[in-house]
Amino acid sequence: MPQDMPPSGGYEPVQYRRNLPVRGFRPAYYLVAVGAIMTYGFWRIGQGIREQNELAREKMWSRIYLIPLLQAEEDRDLVRRTLASQTMEKELLGAETKVYHSDRFVRPTYAVTPANVTK
Amino acid sequence: MASRQPRFNQQVLIDTTPLPDSIPKVPEIGTSSAPLLSASYFIGARCKAYNDDYMLCKTESNGKGELECMREGRKVTRCAASVLDDVNKSCLDQFRAHWECLDNNNQQLWQCRRWERPLNKCVFDNLKLEKKIPGAPENETPVHLRKRQIFAHSIATQ
Repeated sequence: MPQDMPPSGGYEPVQYRRNLPVRGFRPAYYLVAVGAIMTYGFWRIGQGIREQNELAREKMWSRIYLIPLLQAEEDRDLVRRTLASQTMEKELLGAETKVYHSDRFVRPTYAVTPANVTK
Repeated sequence: MASRQPRFNQQVLIDTTPLPDSIPKVPEIGTSSAPLLSASYFIGARCKAYNDDYMLCKTESNGKGELECMREGRKVTRCAASVLDDVNKSCLDQFRAHWECLDNNNQQLWQCRRWERPLNKCVFDNLKLEKKIPGAPENETPVHLRKRQIFAHSIATQ
């Protein structure tokens, strides 16, 4: 019995891939478009960050210019309260007790509550 | 009586004894935060010397500054009061428009450029006090002079 041979002229080509139409643009175009969008976005972010830095600087300096004013007012109030409490202590005890072994200004911890409504 | 202000009890916990007569009196500023913020750069422009003097005094007095720097502190307060007075006298409308805008916009300076520009111009024309931000990069427009504020809510306020 003769051996089974391929048909004369060979087999027909086997179709192993689908012939679907390719949608959209070439991938390189998408890559370029995404790159452009990203570049623009990062550029805007950079602008925003720089502006934010400047705004922070502006706010910081406005605060720096105000701090001595606020601090002076606060200190004056503190001194007023301290002197008042010292006077009261002298009136009540006849002498001033030195609490700390130091001549630094120490904020008094406790306040005397005025008996009547004062303000 | 620590430096913390009394909370929840504004009526009875405050000792109102005034300062002794040996210490000169100075009227406090009594301004809320928005007008202070609005005028801060003008205060800084006129009172820089006094401010620096006071802060230096506080630094050098080693924890006794509260008592020893009262003189400098009074100068600071008087100088700031003079600036606020002058601004009130010559540019009251612009000043009020700007700080009311700041009050309404969470004190964000960039929301109020539209009202800040006339205020700066008026103060510069009348009082010769210029708003300058130290340390800002020199090759770009200072942020308060830019036409467009990136972070502003709307373009109506620019």
